[in-house]
Amino acid sequence: MPFASTHSIAIRGAQGHLVDVQADVSTGKAGISVVGRGDLSVSQAPQRCQMAILNSGLEWPSSRRVTILFSPADLDKRGTHFDLSTALVVLAATGQVAPASLADTVFVGELTLGGGLREVAGVLPMAIASRERGIGRLVCPETQVREAAMVPGLEVIGIRSLGQAVALVQGDPMPQAAPVAAMSGGSLLAWRGEDRLDDVDLCDLAGMADAKYAAEVAAAGGHHLLLSGPKGSGKTSLAERIPGLLPDLDIDEALEVTSLHSLAGALPGDGTLLERPPFSAPHHDATKASIIGGGTGRVRPGEVSRAHCGVLFLDEFPLLRTDVIDSLRQPLETAEVTVARGDETVRYPARGMVVFAANPCPCGNWHTDRAVDQCSCTANQRRDYQARVRGPITDRIDITRHLVPATVEAHDPLAVRESSAQVRARVTLARERQADRYAERPWRLNGQAPGAALARDFPLEDEGRRLLQGLVVGGSLTQRGAVRVHRLAWTIADLTGVVTPGVEEVEIAVSLRRGDPLPSRALRRVAS
Amino acid sequence: MSRADDADRLARLALSHLTEPGNLRIAALVTELGAVRVRAELIEQRRLSGEHEDIAVRLESCHPEEMLAAGESAGLRYLVPGDEEWPHGLDDLADAGAVQEMGGVPLGLWVRGALRLDSVSGAVAVVGARASTSYGDDFSMRLGADLASAGRIVVSGAAAGIDQAAHRGALAAQGRTIAALACGADRAYPSSAGRMLDLIAEEGAVLSEVPPRGAPLRHRFLARNRLIAALAAGTVVVEAGYRSGALNTAHWTERLNRPLMGVPGPVTSASSQGVHQHLRSGRATLVTQAEDVLELVSKAGEHLVAHRSGATRTRDRLTTRHRRVLEAVPVSRRAHSDSIARTAGIGLAEVRSALAHLQRCGYVDEDVDGWRLGDGIRDEIRDRAW
Repeated sequence: MPFASTHSIAIRGAQGHLVDVQADVSTGKAGISVVGRGDLSVSQAPQRCQMAILNSGLEWPSSRRVTILFSPADLDKRGTHFDLSTALVVLAATGQVAPASLADTVFVGELTLGGGLREVAGVLPMAIASRERGIGRLVCPETQVREAAMVPGLEVIGIRSLGQAVALVQGDPMPQAAPVAAMSGGSLLAWRGEDRLDDVDLCDLAGMADAKYAAEVAAAGGHHLLLSGPKGSGKTSLAERIPGLLPDLDIDEALEVTSLHSLAGALPGDGTLLERPPFSAPHHDATKASIIGGGTGRVRPGEVSRAHCGVLFLDEFPLLRTDVIDSLRQPLETAEVTVARGDETVRYPARGMVVFAANPCPCGNWHTDRAVDQCSCTANQRRDYQARVRGPITDRIDITRHLVPATVEAHDPLAVRESSAQVRARVTLARERQADRYAERPWRLNGQAPGAALARDFPLEDEGRRLLQGLVVGGSLTQRGAVRVHRLAWTIADLTGVVTPGVEEVEIAVSLRRGDPLPSRALRRVAS
Repeated sequence: MSRADDADRLARLALSHLTEPGNLRIAALVTELGAVRVRAELIEQRRLSGEHEDIAVRLESCHPEEMLAAGESAGLRYLVPGDEEWPHGLDDLADAGAVQEMGGVPLGLWVRGALRLDSVSGAVAVVGARASTSYGDDFSMRLGADLASAGRIVVSGAAAGIDQAAHRGALAAQGRTIAALACGADRAYPSSAGRMLDLIAEEGAVLSEVPPRGAPLRHRFLARNRLIAALAAGTVVVEAGYRSGALNTAHWTERLNRPLMGVPGPVTSASSQGVHQHLRSGRATLVTQAEDVLELVSKAGEHLVAHRSGATRTRDRLTTRHRRVLEAVPVSRRAHSDSIARTAGIGLAEVRSALAHLQRCGYVDEDVDGWRLGDGIRDEIRDRAW
């Protein structure tokens, strides 16, 4: 019967969806038609498949009408990885392989004209989707087997060519084939020294008690943080050490994060799940597509998604392009990004913690310490720069701290410098308390809790609540700011095991939010 | 090292063991009659009238020689007035009256540490709230370091917050600092200050009026504050709320007629309200850095702080008339002198002469189309930075 069907996976955003790939070969005007909302790559697949089949020594029904259907037909199909399933299903429809041999299998891979296979992005989410839909077997490019094998309960087979795929399903001996070709396109903007992050520790930094405490609170509750200060005040050094304060990813997070990296083409390829929270630090000149996601051709997740469950560091953020700053509003507020392409929208998760760093002025030298003030900016330049810092983005920043270079502290013989591990222990405990409290809720951290739910179900103690209301009435906090203070107060309480945040926690939270000096008892309670 | 009469020393030691520090009555009696006689009379009074019986009983059973030896084996020395090492700044307490019913020159001081107290001169006390903020702590640490780097001894009370920050700043700058305690000089209060006090004693001194092992009872804090004020040439209060104990030290500083200085904080900060109040009433002088402090505690004419203002701007160097002409000169397009004269509202001859002067200064330049601002100050003027 000139009809055959097999499976592949369509990726939308970070999710895979099972797709039936069907071929019908019949009489009629010779030609190929592809139906099922495929993009340009998909509609060009039959040409690649035709050549790959012919160059593999097999036959293409050039005098027949070939119809390829990707079903469900209303789901967008993008990418080149449908090639393998397409070619096999045509071979089955023409009787060159047994149709039954393609059952219960997902095939993914791009074909070259010579019949070889090329790597594709997103093999891990494809494997996850396969397993979730009860498919038993995945066939993919050989070099990506280890990535797919991270998913338990799925049989993964790697091949190098269409010829090998045919031999596989027929049960014949494997022919020789050239190695798999690497993925097209590079990975996203490289940032400085991914591997460096493993060696840095919080105790490398002298002083900075205020900023370190803020980092601890931000890490514990998933709060966005702004570090403001002149050059040399330690903003970048501190930001790089924040991922080290976060606990290991749990299994769900690890799969999500690794999938996103796979889709971005940024997986190391050694087949291990990413366990540590990721760190992403794009340059301030980066385009909106590289930060938010999208891009021409293949849609990819951006840096905000690559920092999912980790830390996104936006250094010199007032210098970010305006369109980038505007587009950051959505992930900051909803923890996902929506990338619009034509009439389709794609959503990627982006639930990372953002650390913003800003100099006090464009040249970076403006100090409040007169002894070293060497700013070369004009007043207008400073004002324009500061205005960018104060936009709608900063309203979504929970914690603001002003840093000064730590000169005396570096020589303090009594300084007790905690290690990242010590702080991470407290952060982990705080996160466990939050997990317990929000067990029945769709969010996990204080920084994600909606204001209405906080007010109704997780209120502050009376005195704390009154203090907060007083500040709103008095105009020193907006209503939205009060919600953020409420979230922070919970995190401060979680870090010290206080059952319900009260006036002390609210006071510290207000200082953290407004960039005011902290009461030193806040720093002392942490160190004890 | 010359020592005061041993009998006097032992009598003072015994008396200090049984009376609270800052006891004015005992201090007055000792001044009038001498410690030996006061001790003897107190014991005698018991025999005579049964009054003060408890004190007298304890006095009799008290063995100051043993206590002195015990203290010395714990690394403490007991100084009394008359010793060569006795710091004379403390003698001013005799005329400084009472605050909260306490005062007077101490009977003696228990001291540990390498620093000889008689070498203390021009020291600076840095005190403030336990409930400090990171702003106050950072400032105090910096001040302590700067003062120590300038060769000054930093005096404080080892309390959490401002005191400890000041001590640590001095230590970080490898300077000398003195900690006056409300507990015995061999103890640490708060206990977290133990290591700091040991470090202080290496180059500086840890001292107390309270005998060794003595507990830090509340009134003993108030009594020791007068020591901090009296040992120093001036006191800086960094952060203090309305009811902060640091204000008690400030009060002693005024009684002793020494300079009292205050560091302002954010006006919204409750931790600075006490300081602000003192600054407002004129009782304290505003300081923002070590140089300001040094100017106030040094002899007249020494350590003068240069008057600081913003950078000199172009227009500061011009006369008023020349400034008006300069402001009438356009920034980018050119104008002839008659147009400039109209804009400036000044006569043509004067404008021409002014333009010539401005041109010599490089502020304006001329071509066939007229006058325009020179490159150098065009940016300044445009950004209103001039």
